[in-house]
Amino acid sequence: MNIRWVLPIAAVLSASSCREEGVTRTRVPKAEATAVVAAEPSHDHDREHASGPKGVRWTLPAGWEEVPGNGMRLATWVPPGGVKAEATVVALPGDSGGELENANRWRGQIGLPPTDEASLTAARTVFSTKAGSVKVYDFRSEGEKRTRLIAAVLKTGDMTWFFKLTGDEAAAESARSGFLTIVKGLTPDAAK
Amino acid sequence: MRRNDAVSRLVDLLSSLKLTLLCLTLLIVLVVACTLAQVNLGIHLAVERYIRSFIVWWSPEGSALRLPLFPGGGLVGGVLLLNLVFAQFRKLEWSWRKGGLWIVHVGLALLFIGEFATALMQVESNIAIEEGQTKSYSEDYRLMEAVVVDETNKEFNEEFGIPDSLLMSRREISDPGLPFKLVVRAYHENAMLSRGGGASSPVNAGVGVGMSIQPRHPVTADGEQNSSVAVVEPVLPDGKSLGVYLLSNALGAPQGFIHEGRSWKLALRLRQYRHPFSLTLKDFRHDRYPGTNIPKNFSSLVRLKDPAAGDDRDVLIYMNSPLRHGGLTFYQASFGKNDTLSVLQVVRNPAWTLPYVSCLLVSLGLLWHFGVMLKKSLAARAA
Repeated sequence: MNIRWVLPIAAVLSASSCREEGVTRTRVPKAEATAVVAAEPSHDHDREHASGPKGVRWTLPAGWEEVPGNGMRLATWVPPGGVKAEATVVALPGDSGGELENANRWRGQIGLPPTDEASLTAARTVFSTKAGSVKVYDFRSEGEKRTRLIAAVLKTGDMTWFFKLTGDEAAAESARSGFLTIVKGLTPDAAK
Repeated sequence: MRRNDAVSRLVDLLSSLKLTLLCLTLLIVLVVACTLAQVNLGIHLAVERYIRSFIVWWSPEGSALRLPLFPGGGLVGGVLLLNLVFAQFRKLEWSWRKGGLWIVHVGLALLFIGEFATALMQVESNIAIEEGQTKSYSEDYRLMEAVVVDETNKEFNEEFGIPDSLLMSRREISDPGLPFKLVVRAYHENAMLSRGGGASSPVNAGVGVGMSIQPRHPVTADGEQNSSVAVVEPVLPDGKSLGVYLLSNALGAPQGFIHEGRSWKLALRLRQYRHPFSLTLKDFRHDRYPGTNIPKNFSSLVRLKDPAAGDDRDVLIYMNSPLRHGGLTFYQASFGKNDTLSVLQVVRNPAWTLPYVSCLLVSLGLLWHFGVMLKKSLAARAA
C-alpha cells in the first residue's frame, strides 16, 4: 500500500491554514460609508475609571444620576423614573474629526443617511453657556419604532466635549428637557 | 522484505479496530475538555484550541513556553479518517451484499472531510440592523482591521482594509493604491486607554494625543470585546511623516488628514465583509406566550435587494429558518434596543452541504444493509 499521497495532502492543508492575509481594497458608495469607525463601546464594568480632563462642570437636575465613566467615556447621566435613555460625556482633543463627520457618524448609528454642511447648519441649535457656545443636534431615526439622538458639542480651548442623549423616541423626549437643562448649565471648571 | 514488513505493520495499525476505539475515546475526552474550557475561554477559542487544532498546547502560568499536552481534534479526526479508509478497503468485502456498509463508510468519511473543510473555509460574522436600516456588510465577531479611507471622491470612498494579522506581523504596510506606507509603531489586541500619563507616547496627531495605553490580556469569553489599539504612522516615499495616530475600536471620533488635496481617514474597527446585496430590516418581532415574558418566537422581516441576481423580495428569518443567499446563510441570532434591533449571524461555509449529503448516504447505506439482512432473514425463515 502506497501512502505517499498522504504527505502532499498534509502539505496542502498546512499551507492553506498558514496563508497570509493581504490588504483589501473596496469602493464603498458614500451613502453606505457611514460606519468608517465603530460605534462607541458600551459599558464594561470591570474597566478602570478614566481620569477625565478638567475644563467643564455640570449640575444634574433632581432625580438624575451620574455613573462614573470608563474607558473614553467620562460620565454617564441616567434620567429618573427608569426611562430607557442615557446621556454620555466624552471629551477629545482638537476638533475630533469635525462636526460634520461626527454628526454623520451619529446619524449612521441610528440608521440615517449622511447629511451635508448646509443641512447640518440648518439642523443646528446654539445655546450660550458659561462654559462657551454649545451646538445641539437632534436626530430621529425612521420607521415605526424610532430612536432619537440629541448631541451637544462644546469647544473649550484645545478640547471638544460631546454630550449625547440616546434612547427610543418616547424615552428621549421625556429625558430631553433635563438633558438640555444640564447642557445649558455647563460652567468652566475652576480646577482647570 | 523488511520494508514490506514495516508497511504491512503500518497498514495493519491504520486499519485496526483498536485504533478506532482509541480515537473515539480521545475524541470523547477532547469534547469533555473543550466543554469545560468554554467557561474560561469562550466557545470560539475553546473549539480552536481543542477541536480545530492538531495539538492541544499547554503553557505554564507566566511562561511563554508551549508544551504539547494532548492530540487535538484535527489530528485525532485525521487518524480516524485514515483508519476508516484503510479499514474499508482492507477489510470490507466488495460485493452487493456489503454495498450498504460501503455507502455508510463513504458517508462517514464525508462527515470528517466536511468538518476539515469547515475548519479551513468557514467565516462567521454578524449584521446588527435597526428597523428601517439598510446594510450591505457584516462584521466579524473578533477580528479587527485598520482602515485607511480615501474620502476625496464625492460619489464613493476607497477603503483599504488592513487585517489585524498584518498589523501584528509587519513593521511596514504598503499598497499600490496608497501614496504613503503605514508604519506600525505598536499593536495591542486589547488595551485600556486613559487620559493623562501619555507624555512619552509617540502619538502626535489625531484624537489620541496625550492618551496612555495600558496593554491587557485579550478577552475571549463570549460577549466580551477587545479594545484593540494600533499606533500607526503614514510615511511618504521621501520619508516625511504625516503624523503618528492612535487608532482604536474604543474611539468613536473620526480622525485623518489631507494630503495633496486628498482627504484621508484612519480607523480601527471590527473587520467588515462587503456583500453585493443589501438587507433592510422592515420588522423585528419578539413574540411571547400570552400573559408571560417567556419568548415564543424571534423573527426578522427583511427586504433583500440583489441587483446582480435580479432579487428584490421580502424574506422572513426566524429560528431554524435562515435565509440562504449568495453563498451565505443568515440566522436569527440576537436582538436589542427595545426590540428594534435585530442581530443576524452570517455564515459563509462552502462545505455546508457535506453533512447533509453525509447523513443522506449513511441513512441510505443503513437502509440498504438492513434490507439485505431482512431479506436474508426472511429467506432463512422460509427455508
